[in-house]
Amino acid sequence: MAVMGPEGARDWCSVDVGAATVGVAERDALGTTARVVVWPPNWTGRVLAAVDAELALLDEQASRFRDDSEISLVQRCFSAATRPRSAHPGDATRRGSCIVSEGLAEAIAVALAAAEWTGGLVDPTVGGALHGLGYDRDFAALPQGAAGEAAPPEPGYVPGWQSVRLDGRRLRLAAGVRLDLGATAKGLGSDRAARAAAACVPGGGVLVSLGGDIAVAGEAPLGGWPVLVSDEPGQHGREPAARIARPVCAPEEPPGRQVRLSAGGLATSSIRCRQWRRGGRTLHHIVDPRTGLPAAGTWRTASVAAASCAEANAAATAAIVAGEQAAGWLAAQGLPARLVAHDGSVRLLGGWPATVGGLVKVPVTPRMPAAPSGRPDGTRRPPEDLSGPARPDRVR
Amino acid sequence: MEHDYPEQPGWVRLPGYDEDPRYPHDADDSRGYRRGAGARGSGVRRVRQASNWTAALLIAGVAATTGYFAHHAPPATPATSAVTSVPGGTAATRAHKPSLSAPVATSSGSGVTVGTGPGGTRIVTYRDN
Repeated sequence: MAVMGPEGARDWCSVDVGAATVGVAERDALGTTARVVVWPPNWTGRVLAAVDAELALLDEQASRFRDDSEISLVQRCFSAATRPRSAHPGDATRRGSCIVSEGLAEAIAVALAAAEWTGGLVDPTVGGALHGLGYDRDFAALPQGAAGEAAPPEPGYVPGWQSVRLDGRRLRLAAGVRLDLGATAKGLGSDRAARAAAACVPGGGVLVSLGGDIAVAGEAPLGGWPVLVSDEPGQHGREPAARIARPVCAPEEPPGRQVRLSAGGLATSSIRCRQWRRGGRTLHHIVDPRTGLPAAGTWRTASVAAASCAEANAAATAAIVAGEQAAGWLAAQGLPARLVAHDGSVRLLGGWPATVGGLVKVPVTPRMPAAPSGRPDGTRRPPEDLSGPARPDRVR
Repeated sequence: MEHDYPEQPGWVRLPGYDEDPRYPHDADDSRGYRRGAGARGSGVRRVRQASNWTAALLIAGVAATTGYFAHHAPPATPATSAVTSVPGGTAATRAHKPSLSAPVATSSGSGVTVGTGPGGTRIVTYRDN
């Protein structure tokens, strides 16, 4: 059923989750699905319009799949002005710069902060590597090569996040840097949209999910927002709403799969989706900046709750890349997390509730710095324990 | 309309009957009208004074109670202007928080998968929510 809102709200479909006390709608956005849950439900139309505005802004600012996006324009400008053969981290200070919008500056700042926080395991400069691996367009338009159709992928070039300099709105990129904000942009988008939506619901509350990266704002329902954490492989066709609207007390649930969220954000990163085949290999979208190849760590899925969705998003992606070191780092950060190994075994950390429908206690204060403390000389801060001792050199 | 009745056998005079100086005891006790009127007037004055104090206390109490509720009761509508700009909008308060028993969203990996269906058709699957 097409819905729902007044002016500005577009293409939303209402979703029946079995509760009339909330309004639920979803639509395709940013190459994935956006879902909005609102209480009281009579504010849904206005909330959807606010979410639409935020999603449109983020898409215009940070989508690397749109030729007319701001980040694509910036990328082209730097590509034309630099000579890739002479590029190395640190060149940025000697090359040109450009002024970006406040929104894009915020998105880049969050990505750089995540990179510093995770010791470089979440790196916005993996765009070139992803491009080289074949993820060079919106995923829905990605060709699915048959086995043996192309040569096995070569490790991609990851210049490193220090090759990006951001001073306020002034951006400098070293030659050859191709930005990809995917590890943090959806989380940031959820945070922005939830904040904007909550302003439309005085006394009520909202939940915004962008591709499973969830942010909540305003007043949560009694006991928190019930959320399902999924690790299942993809199914053909859109998942029916009835599948979601099952009782919280299903006895066969794996541990920690159904939780409640009352504040902050919850994000999941997984190598089980956004997969494609090339040269007889199945690839996925989470690139290990240390190798330039899809991450091949211990965990296939990581769900993390944090003070913001951007932070949760960065932590979840870092956990996939970090592998064995992820559990220790997450515990040190005090972040509730649910890790699923390749054999399907589940590990709960940081107070992630094992009981069905338990409340996830999200840290009140952010763990991720608001902005990177980047060094002007381009040197890298020693990686923290998350990176692990065996850190291979970057591949070019 | 008021008048005194002649004293009857067995009647007892009320205390203070002879104490009001404005109505000295008359030697002619058969003229009890003035004495009765004095006692009545004194009683009425006492009652009026008591009523005035009671009324004043009641008024003060009501005013204080009204003031208390005016400052402490939850507002009927939110103070923001957005409330009045949306038709049908109602104020949400803690008392009206919903209780949800089933998940309303799913957190999963960035869930777009692409597969091949019958006849080689591409099937794009969104399954994040």
